Amino acid sequence: MSEPVKVVEKKAAPSNALMLHGLPDVGLVGLIATSHVISQLKMNEIAYVDSELLPPVVVLHEGLPHAPLRIFGNTDVIATFGEAAIPAKAVQPIVRKLVEWSQAKKVKLMVSMGGMPVQDRQDIEAVKVYGAASNPSLLKLLSDKGIEILHGGFMVGPYALIMRYCAERNIPAIALLAQSFYNYPDPEAAAATIKEFSKITGLQIDVSKLVEGGEEIRLKARDVMKRTTQELNRMKKTQEYDLPLYV
Amino acid sequence: MAEIRRRRRSILDLIGDYLEDLETLSEEFGGVAMFERPSWDLRSCCIEPLCSVFVAADEVVVTADLLNTHPDTIKVEQVNRDTLEIRAEMKRKIRFNEFGITHRQGEFQFFRCQTHIPVSVEAKRMQTRFKRGILEVHLPRKKGYRIKVE
Repeated sequence: MSEPVKVVEKKAAPSNALMLHGLPDVGLVGLIATSHVISQLKMNEIAYVDSELLPPVVVLHEGLPHAPLRIFGNTDVIATFGEAAIPAKAVQPIVRKLVEWSQAKKVKLMVSMGGMPVQDRQDIEAVKVYGAASNPSLLKLLSDKGIEILHGGFMVGPYALIMRYCAERNIPAIALLAQSFYNYPDPEAAAATIKEFSKITGLQIDVSKLVEGGEEIRLKARDVMKRTTQELNRMKKTQEYDLPLYV
Repeated sequence: MAEIRRRRRSILDLIGDYLEDLETLSEEFGGVAMFERPSWDLRSCCIEPLCSVFVAADEVVVTADLLNTHPDTIKVEQVNRDTLEIRAEMKRKIRFNEFGITHRQGEFQFFRCQTHIPVSVEAKRMQTRFKRGILEVHLPRKKGYRIKVE
């Protein structure tokens, strides 16, 4: 039986790199943020994810076919980038494989940038970013950088699994989650996460294009958002609104 | 005994599989697969905006992402008892080539969507708000009769 998920490397991936994740989730925050980082750092495609669990889709760029879930890199940073919604049933095996692959590449820190849906998002002028981490020392690092910690509640979806598998394997991982729309693309929230990402990693990323081109991004991201919302509903993403039981 | 247990488990598994298939089918027929269509219509020059419906205890809130529109062109209309239509004109026309698509021709100037309202509402008392490109429509729910608690 063939492997359900494979990472096919096209170029050598760097060791001891920082790894970002831009997977479709609420407000497409991570996807928009990671796409911007890839473009600003001029990263190239180094690998892609091949799986029968993904829909039979290729993305055409300049007439050439590309896998919907790709990995970009330069000498210090690796980034996963998913251009099409990942089916709910495929999220677990794909994330597990990505975490295994990152361990083989001795990734020094996994960073998931994402959204945290809030009601009345349109009334929020200054988007707040919350943090979660796979170990106490990283939580302290987030706190020291002025990022408010998510102390309780649920995380659902790809970033939740990245955090869980990284904690199991002792891979340092953080999540930066900005207040965002649930089912509308949110470039402002993406810009807010990048700002916090820069504070933590020291990588300076200019977000002005992201903010100025917000409307255009919202328009272009509509269809991916629509399909992502359908998958988020299947994952029961709204469980993030639930109050946890502490006894 | 072990065989009976195995058989029982297997029946439960079958029921579980059946329920899972049913859930998948109902999801698909509930709007995902059955009504799948492009999010644009060339003949009417319309793009369908992203929209959502939230049913609260006392109201239904419909929101729609109407970026790049003139607020004074937004029209909200109850087209029948359980359907709301939202229309708006964009500030500028959008063409396929702006999305990197060159094999289709056409331009869009309007947003238009129809959304299902799952409970009875009082459309006459509807209130709207438009901020940061997001339209919010508040529709008070119709009240039934009050049951006296003794």
